[in-house]
Amino acid sequence: MDEFESKLPVSGVKNHVFEACHHVVKALRASDNNLDANLRKLLSDLESHLSTFGIADTKVEDTGFSEIEVRFKESVKTILSWETNHSTILESGPSEADHFFQALYEVQTVVMGFKALPMKTNQKEKDVYNQATVALDIAMLRLEKELYDVLHQHKQCVQPEYLAVSSRRKDIVYDESFVSLDDVEVVVEASSHEDDEQISEFCNSDLIDPSVLPHIKAIANTMFACEYDQAFCEAFISVQREALDEYMVTLDMERFSCVDVLTMEWNDLKLNGAMREWTRVVKNISHVYLPSEKQLCEQILGDFESVSSACFIEISKDTVLSLLNFGEAVALRPCQPEMLERFLSMYEVSAEILLDVDNLFLDESGSFLRMAFHELSKHLADHTTATFLKFKNAIALNESAHPFPGGGVHHLTRYVMNYLKLLPQYADTINSLLENINVDDSIPEKTGQDVLPLTFSPMARHLRSIVTTLESNLERKAQLYADESLKSIFLMNNFRYIVQKVKGSELRHLFGDEWIRKHIARYQRDVTNYERSTWSSILALLTDNNNNSVKTLRDRCRLFSLAFDDVYKKQTRWLVPDPELRDDLHISTSVKVVQSYRGFLGRNATRIGEKHIRYTCEDIENLLLDLFECLPSSRSLRSSRRR
Amino acid sequence: MRPAQDNQGSFLGRISIRRNQFVDVNNEQEQEDLELFQKHIADRFTDLLSPTPPQQPPPSDETNTVAPVAATEQIMSVTWLRKLMDVFLCCEAEFKAILLMGRDPTQISKPPFDRLVPEMLDRSIKALDICTAVVNGIDSVRHYQRLAEIAVTALEQRPLGDGNVRRAKRALANLLVALSLEDKENVSGGGGGGGGGNKTTERSWSFGRRSGGSSAASKGGATIGQLKSSSWAVGRNWSAAKQIHAMTANLTPPRGNEAAGLPQPMFIMSTVMVFVMWVLTAAVPCQERSGLANHLPVPPKHLNWAQSLIGIHEKIGDEWKKKEKKGSAGLMEEMTRMEKLGHSLMEFADGFHYPAEKDAAESAAAQVAEMAEICRRMEEELVPLQQQIREVFHRIVRSRAEILEVLEQAGKISAPVV
Repeated sequence: MDEFESKLPVSGVKNHVFEACHHVVKALRASDNNLDANLRKLLSDLESHLSTFGIADTKVEDTGFSEIEVRFKESVKTILSWETNHSTILESGPSEADHFFQALYEVQTVVMGFKALPMKTNQKEKDVYNQATVALDIAMLRLEKELYDVLHQHKQCVQPEYLAVSSRRKDIVYDESFVSLDDVEVVVEASSHEDDEQISEFCNSDLIDPSVLPHIKAIANTMFACEYDQAFCEAFISVQREALDEYMVTLDMERFSCVDVLTMEWNDLKLNGAMREWTRVVKNISHVYLPSEKQLCEQILGDFESVSSACFIEISKDTVLSLLNFGEAVALRPCQPEMLERFLSMYEVSAEILLDVDNLFLDESGSFLRMAFHELSKHLADHTTATFLKFKNAIALNESAHPFPGGGVHHLTRYVMNYLKLLPQYADTINSLLENINVDDSIPEKTGQDVLPLTFSPMARHLRSIVTTLESNLERKAQLYADESLKSIFLMNNFRYIVQKVKGSELRHLFGDEWIRKHIARYQRDVTNYERSTWSSILALLTDNNNNSVKTLRDRCRLFSLAFDDVYKKQTRWLVPDPELRDDLHISTSVKVVQSYRGFLGRNATRIGEKHIRYTCEDIENLLLDLFECLPSSRSLRSSRRR
Repeated sequence: MRPAQDNQGSFLGRISIRRNQFVDVNNEQEQEDLELFQKHIADRFTDLLSPTPPQQPPPSDETNTVAPVAATEQIMSVTWLRKLMDVFLCCEAEFKAILLMGRDPTQISKPPFDRLVPEMLDRSIKALDICTAVVNGIDSVRHYQRLAEIAVTALEQRPLGDGNVRRAKRALANLLVALSLEDKENVSGGGGGGGGGNKTTERSWSFGRRSGGSSAASKGGATIGQLKSSSWAVGRNWSAAKQIHAMTANLTPPRGNEAAGLPQPMFIMSTVMVFVMWVLTAAVPCQERSGLANHLPVPPKHLNWAQSLIGIHEKIGDEWKKKEKKGSAGLMEEMTRMEKLGHSLMEFADGFHYPAEKDAAESAAAQVAEMAEICRRMEEELVPLQQQIREVFHRIVRSRAEILEVLEQAGKISAPVV
């Protein structure tokens, strides 16, 4: 340090130094209009000092330089004092911070000043320069640490729940795969999630406490001015990248390899969880987190535009690629119809975020990420469409070997209709996917009373076509019944179920009134068919011929009772699960049967004789109510109802 | 190919060919295609093994140009790796044409293809994961590049002061530690840098990067952070070495009748794929590679098409074995040179006394220029290489989809692949 005490003898050199200093200060100011207050003050201080030196210099050269030396020594001391101080400069308050930055600029000024000099300076000057480079490096390293510390300490949590984009719909859990549908009970549970939880409109949240931004910006500007820009970026990127990694951990987004995704079963909870999580995370990340990150980069590095976007890409790339990879991996899976809904929701999100993504990765350096998102969306679109079409195929190919017991609603019908019920919420998405795919539709023209455009949308046409496929499959299944009546019950049940599902959901607008009317008429025909096939021959026993002998009447009464017993035994084991339909059936059967029987008894009871009449009209009426209740098979006509 | 034809050199054989000519028109065409395919594979890899030197600029341009041009084409250089990607894409396109074009779909669903095709698709899925891991590994290389750039910036300062050297040393120490890291080595446990660098590392990290005061992170914050995230690229417990091993598990050259037909190009293409993936894994940092050298997919030496591939294989394999002993982030030629330069610049920095001695400074300046040149090339080529690898990824995805589609047409879509 002793050398510092001596004075620089060459006044010309000194002038160079001052000129260079002036130049540096000016350049620094010009480089940034938004210098923070500390820095601005510092610069003007420096400038005024310099001008004093300049004046002093012309008079008493040596004093001027020794003053610089003194100040330089002080500055170095200040910087060194921070080298071992582990609290942040920020905490020490604005005046301490000022002091540090000022010292730093003194040192930098010396460095820059000497660099502008011709090479031939004397040893002492060289030593000052050398000391200054060391002090500058210490200061820069100190700022790097400061950056780490401040970014860590003032990180703000982005609350996942605050950002939660709810799965806005009901999740249906299919416990059975489509292919194993036939003879096992399908449990279809509708578990409703929290209702429409709106995502707060495009919300940038602050990843870093805004009050420390000026400080960080000052660090950035200083480090950039001293050509430590790379060090700044490295530190900034590594902290922010780590923060993003942590955020992903809080979102439970695990990384899977393609092999993992492909080897998992379709109903693997881990896979399904990951897929659901993915839609949520991709939305959050592209809609909230990354825009906030980008904003942070711009706030801090906005003056160095290309650096700002390069940093942003470095911070986000790894996470973004991992999300893209999961999407690509999912699109490699076979097009299992069971997964349609999940593919749909993933595709929907991938299409939805494209605008966000385009804004995030606007420039050339981000173009490959932008393109990757567009590609992914296309792959998911293709995959989803293929799965949708496969859904129809799977319905067509579903075969049964045995008639469905009891004539109730077949699992396939339940499965398909419950699945279809999920789809209207994706109407826009599905319409865009199916736009150019032709399909045979039962309502080819816009005729009749249906006026809603929705009814004639590509999705509506495809859904009707899917149901048509289902219906022909059901007709095939119905052929398996030996009993005509049971066949009618089976068809009636299933068609009624279809219509009810359509009427009771968003599907009704898609299918249209005309379709619904036609289909109601369709199962009404089955009701008529049933009545004819079960009751026509039985009721024929009760019609009067004029010359009936007592014996004939008694025979007929006995035969009627036997036939009724037979029907009762069989049809109480059949099932009409829809209560309304069951009531209708009970009433219409009752009206016909009881009326005929009452008339028959009214005319002939006395001749037949009471002991030959097994059932009263009330008996018949009551017993008919047991039909289609799917009573246990052991149960037969109850004694209490016997005479 | 040859042996199959020789067998039919007899008169009877010729007659039988005639008799079957009606059926064999396609076969003959196919034979031709297959031979051409093998020839192209051989040519492409021969070119990779000993590249034809590009047109030298007129000699007026003396010293500067010659060395870099030669270096760029060297095996495992980033330029070479990019060329390798192109070669892969060409081979793949040609292979797919042979496999699918104008072919009766049922043909590739019958034995032995009902086994060979799923095995091939299975390999391709594993290749996808390797692509992902490698893209991530290249990100680590870009991190090394940035460290090297810091050293370059510092050492380019004139006059070179102690402060600049101090800064350069810090960057070099980080660079050397990162370059010599083994995949799963826990850095916070102990310094990885060799010899003289070690002490410097300790010193340079005794300060700063103490994120939030935690002492575990006090050493090499940025470096470790990078590695941490790269080790997660493909998912927990994923291992590049195991994937490569699994890809080679059922990869055997077709025998007997099969050797003359479609199984042959399938074997070739699979070999090429495994080879390319293996090269990539060895070139850049990659998740879990222990024993990578033992999983070499060595095709039988007598096969013509495989000669150059085996040549490249041996070269890289030897390097890997050497490197594996002392720990290395990757064999990419630029990284190797970067490491060498890093060590010698570190030596220069350690012995530096201000003001710089003229001779030492001059030789250091030359090395700094070389380092700067490497950084420049990395800057130009690493991102395009990443993009090419993603292209490879997408190509594999697309081909797999096309093959599955054909299989489905054949009505024999068996259980989903993998």
